[in-house]
Amino acid sequence: MNSNREELRIGFYVCHCGHNIAATVDCAEVARYVGTLPHVALSREYKYMCSDPGQELIQQDIREHKLNRVVVASCSPLLHEHTFRGATEAGGLNPFYFHMVNIREHNSWVHTDRKEATEKAKALAQAAIERVAHHKALEVKRVKIHADVLVVGGGIAGIHAAMTMANAGKKVYLVEREPTIGGHMAKFDKTFPTLDCAACILTPKMSEVGNHPNITLWTYSEVTKVDGYVGNYKVTVKHKPRYIVEDACVGCMECIDACVYKTPKFEDEFNEGLGKRKPVFIPFPQATPQVVIIDPETCLNLKTGKCKKTCVEACADRMAIDFTQQETFDEIEVGTMIVATGFKTFDAKRVPAYGYGVYPNVYTALEVERLVNASGPTGGEVITRDGRHPKSIGIIHCVGSRDKKTNVWCSRVCCMYSMKLALLLKEHTGAEIYNFYIDIRTPGKGYEEFYNKLLDEGVHFIRGRVGEVTDWAMTPEEEGKLTIRVEDTLAGYVRRIPVDMVVLATGLEPQQDAQDVRRLFNLSCGGEGWFLERHPKLAPVSTFTDGIFIAGGCQGPRDIPDTVAQAGAAAAECLALIDKGYVEQEPNTAFVLAEECSGCKSCIPLCPYTAIAFDESSKVAVINEALCKGCGTCVASCPSGSIVQNLFEDDEVFSEIKGVLAYD
Amino acid sequence: MNITRTIKYEADRVKGFGDEVMKVPGCEKLKDCIQCGTCSGVCPLSVYMDYTPRQVMELTRFDFKKEVLSSKTIWLCASCYACTCECPREIRITDIMYELKQRAIHEGVYPRKFPIPVLAQEFEKMVTANGRISEMPLVMKLFMKTDPLGAMGNWQMGLDLMKTGRFSLASEKINNREQLAKMFAAAEEKA
Repeated sequence: MNSNREELRIGFYVCHCGHNIAATVDCAEVARYVGTLPHVALSREYKYMCSDPGQELIQQDIREHKLNRVVVASCSPLLHEHTFRGATEAGGLNPFYFHMVNIREHNSWVHTDRKEATEKAKALAQAAIERVAHHKALEVKRVKIHADVLVVGGGIAGIHAAMTMANAGKKVYLVEREPTIGGHMAKFDKTFPTLDCAACILTPKMSEVGNHPNITLWTYSEVTKVDGYVGNYKVTVKHKPRYIVEDACVGCMECIDACVYKTPKFEDEFNEGLGKRKPVFIPFPQATPQVVIIDPETCLNLKTGKCKKTCVEACADRMAIDFTQQETFDEIEVGTMIVATGFKTFDAKRVPAYGYGVYPNVYTALEVERLVNASGPTGGEVITRDGRHPKSIGIIHCVGSRDKKTNVWCSRVCCMYSMKLALLLKEHTGAEIYNFYIDIRTPGKGYEEFYNKLLDEGVHFIRGRVGEVTDWAMTPEEEGKLTIRVEDTLAGYVRRIPVDMVVLATGLEPQQDAQDVRRLFNLSCGGEGWFLERHPKLAPVSTFTDGIFIAGGCQGPRDIPDTVAQAGAAAAECLALIDKGYVEQEPNTAFVLAEECSGCKSCIPLCPYTAIAFDESSKVAVINEALCKGCGTCVASCPSGSIVQNLFEDDEVFSEIKGVLAYD
Repeated sequence: MNITRTIKYEADRVKGFGDEVMKVPGCEKLKDCIQCGTCSGVCPLSVYMDYTPRQVMELTRFDFKKEVLSSKTIWLCASCYACTCECPREIRITDIMYELKQRAIHEGVYPRKFPIPVLAQEFEKMVTANGRISEMPLVMKLFMKTDPLGAMGNWQMGLDLMKTGRFSLASEKINNREQLAKMFAAAEEKA
C-alpha cells in the first residue's frame, strides 16, 4: 500500500457536536478504538470540531505530528466537509487527503441504543481510515460564471430581485407566465400594517422593471428547459401567443373599445371573477407591459374565424394585432437563477361547512381585496353578490390552514390580512365586524400594534373555529342572513351569530404545478410541496442545486416584507457568485484511461450531462471535465472498466467496504 | 348569594386520569387538541350541554375527573360524529365521550334517572343473561327506572302496537346460554 509515498500518518477526530453525537455515541470509546488501528498516528475526541479551536487543532496536529491524512467523524459532509478540507489545507496538506464520516445524521440522530450506535460509529470510522489511505492529491478546477441572471416569476419577489441585480449592472431576464407582472400583490388593496396602498408602492417598481435597460421582461412566457450547471446554464423559454405584437402595441386600448362584444361578458380573472372583461383586454390599468392580450378561448375570430375584426380596424396603422401568432422559443445562457414562482390560495370549496360556492354572500379574502379596491369591479363599493350593503360581516380565519384534513401549516399572513380587511370593510361599510380566530398571530414589526388598533376601532374578536355557516334561520333575527355557529371558547358558550357577509381567510398553498417546476430546476420539496431551502437557518435562499436560489411564497407562506427581504438576499447570493467570477468545481469528475478504452461508445449516450465525446483520431471516449458532475453512471457502465472517477476509485471504494466489514 | 370557591388547586386534579384516557386506543390524539372549539361549533346537542365538548376535552386532559364524569355533556352526546369529522386535529371526540361514559358508569357517578346510562346498563344485562335483546321488555325496564309515569303517557302507542302484534312482553332467549357465559367470562378475564 502506497509504497511510493512516505509512511502513512492518519489523524482521527471524533466530534461530540455538543450532545448531538455524544449523547448517543461513546466518543471516547470510538477515539480509543480508532487509535489502535494501523497507520493512525493520533486519535482525538473534541466537543465541537467545526469551531475555530477544533479546526486549529487539526492544523496544529498536521504540523506537529506530521500527519498526512485526516479523518473527522462528525456531521454530514454537506455541512462541514468544506470546513475540514479548509483546515486540512491550512495545515499544509492537499484538502483531498481529508475524509469525513457522518456519525450524526447517519448514526446518533437515528439510533437510540448507545452501545449499538457506538459500535456502528467504530465500524464507519474504520472504513474511513481504510479509505483515506488511498486518497490522492486532487486539484480544484475553476469554471467561469456567466454574468447574466434569470428570474422566474414576476411577483413582488421576482420584481425586487430583478431590480436589485439590474441596478448592480447585471443583465436580467425576468420570465412571468401571466400577461403582466405584479403577482398577488397587484391584486391587494392595502398592505398591513401601515395600510400603504399596494398599487401605489408596487406599480412604480413594475414600470421600472418594464423600462430598465438591463432587464429583458418576458411576460406570458414559461421556462420549458434547463440544462447545464452553476455558472453556465442554458435555458429555453417559451413565449405563448398573445396575438399582439408587443413592440407595436402602445396600450391605447382602442381595440378593446372596438371589439364586437359591446359589453364585457367574460369572467375577469384579475378580479377573481367578480367582474367581466372582453376577449381582448388588459388585466388591470397599471399592467406591465402596458400591452393588451387576446384570449383565444373567447375571441370570436380565433374561435370561429368569423368576425368583423373591428379591433384590427381600430388598431389601423399600428398593426399590433396578429391572429397568426404561434408559440416561439428563446434559448438563453445565464450563470445563476432565482426561482420566485409564488403560491396559490386555498380553494375554499374544500371546506364545505363554510358554504363557499353555495351561498353567494360567502367570499374569499382575495375577492374582498378586489371588492374594496377603487379599481375593482365595483369601484370600491362593498356590495354583496345579491346586491346588499352588509351591516354585519364575519371573517373566518384559518380556512384551509392548521387543519390535518387540508393543510397542516399556519399560513402566517391570514391573521394580519384578515385584520386589514376588517378595518377596510369597517371603513367602507360601517358594519359590525366579527373575526373568528383560533389564535391571533402577529409576530412582525408594528403587527401587534395593528391588532390593538382593531380592538380600539371596535372590531369584534371571537376565539373559536367556526363550525358551520348556514342560511337556516332558527330565530327571527337570523331570517335572510347567514348564521355563523361557533363556540366563543373564551366565554365558554356556543353562539349563533347572523351576518350579511362571510369572508373566508383562505390559506396559502404551493402552486398547482410546483412539482413540475421542482423537476425543471432540480429543486427539492418538503413534504407539503414548498421548495426546500438548503438550510432552514443558514442558507435560507439557497437550494441544493448550486447557482439556483429561491425567494418568496414558493418556499412557504410569508408576507411582503419577508418576501422582499428574501428576494434581496437571493439577489445578493447571485451577485456574490457573479462578482467572484468563477466557481470551484468539486474534482470528483470521471476520466477515461485512454490505453484501456475499447471505443465501444456505450458511455456516451448514458451521460446525463452530455460530457462525453468520442475522439475520432484516437478512437477513445473523452470526458469534458467542466461538464462532468461526478454522477458515476459512465464508470458503472464501462464494460472494460476503463473509466475512473476521482474520489471514487476502485481501491478507495473497496477499501472502505473492507473497513466496514472488518469491524465486528 | 351563595358564594363558593371556583379556583382549582392541584389537589382537585386526579393525576393520571387524563393520561389513562389518552392511552385508550382511539383516544390518543387528545394530546394534539388546540382548543379551537370546532367540536362545540358543530355539535347539534351543544345547545343543552353544561360543559361544551371542547371544555370536556380540556378538563379530561388536565385530570379534572370529577367535573368530567359528572357532566351532562357526556350523556347528551348523540354519537353523530360531526365533531370527529370536523376536528382539524383528527381527535376522535365521540370515542373519547364513549370512554368517559364507560368510566362514569364504572365509577357509579352517572345521573340515575337519565335514560342513556340506564339503557346502556339494561341492554348489557339483557344480552348477558339472554344472549339477545327483546325490545319491549327493554323499553319497559328503561321507563320503569327513569320515568314510570312517562310510560303511562304512551299507552295509546302501546295499544296500537299490541293490536298489530308488535307488542310482546316475552323475553327471547338463545340456546346454550352457558356457552355465552363462558365467552363473556373469558373476555372479562382478558380485559
